[in-house]
Amino acid sequence: MNKQKQITLQTRIAKRYTRIVDNKDEFSRSINQPLKQSFRINSLKGDTEKILESLRKYDNSISSTDWYRNGFTTKLDNLGSSIEHFSGQIYIQELTSMMPALSIADVNESKRIIDCCAAPGSKTTQLAEMMKNKGEIIANDNKHSRLKALRGNLDRLGIVNTTVTLRDFRSFPNTKADIYLVDAPCSSEGTIRKKNTIKRNLKEKDYERFSKIQKGILNRACEMAEKGDQIIYSTCTFAPEENEHVVNSMLEEHSVKLKNINIKNLKMGKGIKHWKDEKFDSEIEKCRRVWPHHNDTDGFFIARIEKC
Amino acid sequence: MLVLLKKEKKKMLIEYCVERFSISKEIFENYQLYEGSKNKIYLIKELLELRFIPESSGLCIFRFDKTPKPTTNFLQLFSANISKNILDIGEKDLINYCKGKDLQVHSSSNKIEPGFIAIRYNDSIVGCAHWNKITVRNQLPKSRRCKINYC
Repeated sequence: MNKQKQITLQTRIAKRYTRIVDNKDEFSRSINQPLKQSFRINSLKGDTEKILESLRKYDNSISSTDWYRNGFTTKLDNLGSSIEHFSGQIYIQELTSMMPALSIADVNESKRIIDCCAAPGSKTTQLAEMMKNKGEIIANDNKHSRLKALRGNLDRLGIVNTTVTLRDFRSFPNTKADIYLVDAPCSSEGTIRKKNTIKRNLKEKDYERFSKIQKGILNRACEMAEKGDQIIYSTCTFAPEENEHVVNSMLEEHSVKLKNINIKNLKMGKGIKHWKDEKFDSEIEKCRRVWPHHNDTDGFFIARIEKC
Repeated sequence: MLVLLKKEKKKMLIEYCVERFSISKEIFENYQLYEGSKNKIYLIKELLELRFIPESSGLCIFRFDKTPKPTTNFLQLFSANISKNILDIGEKDLINYCKGKDLQVHSSSNKIEPGFIAIRYNDSIVGCAHWNKITVRNQLPKSRRCKINYC
């Protein structure tokens, strides 16, 4: 029964996106493959090479990625019970989840970043590491129950430059920052290769529901940003209703422009120009889609917006 | 609500770190120390002024009761700076330590002075414990306890 449900879900997704994916057969094949576990090395807790050496003593299946020096995959499925995980030297994180932080042009120690939907802290802790535990990060989430995981990860990874806040970002008070990261709640279709991540068949109205929330959060970030500030918008879904449509509405409503995203050695597709009856601004092509068959990952979407 | 740590307490805490663990006082130079509820001391890069009270800021590094008590987070983060009152443990003790169990020590115990100590495995500090000349009492918070399968 469960197997049948899974097949139905994957078939439905393959069918829904057959017109926008560059290789429908490869796409269909890849979403039926299980995903390798991936992790990120936290260099705040030790030298990367030493941590790797220590991990390789019991795991010889570790492979590095071509596009991120701290991103790795492994065939071991329970690195969470390793001493390196306990001591915060590694963070178990999907490869696609490492991409938004890498798409920011100039993360450095002088920046202030607001992670608008931060829990459980994957991207917050990655940004903190990239900033060498300096600068300022505000890690916000709207669910109290999720803050425990966020706080736990910040503690385990030794993060000192982060302030945790509990607010629905749509009503977050005006706060100056250089970078706003909106990794919005979404239908999570892109995580289909993981076990039990999509529990039910999504209906068309679910896309609309998520889209409304995403627009609200991204709209608040666009309102708060000042000229030259960056806003990174990302989701882990294939649905254009939650991706290009949301970004397109910001282009219509705010004085913002899209910037190119380049992550060296990472294959990414362009944002799509139309979906169903809706035609998007030609700039939308600057958004990036990460299809599962491109880099053997989950599916993901990223847009880099700059306030004008 | 966090308040800037009083000068006397800050001095006492830094002296404790220097004397107890040989941690250089320079490590605190780029940070600010704040005191929160339950005598908890937080290491903060910079306390942000927001229009509402945040849930937390920085990293809890000490609890200041009668004497300062370092947190596991603090000892792990400054692992490379600690050179005194360290207890080296092997794989079996590590597994027990991570489960929250107290440790039985042998000959190496004469290198450590009674009080809070750093537990080290394979050149990395994994956490805090308390040595009373008889037992090494585990100080790992419940939230950090876990089963270690790979080490």
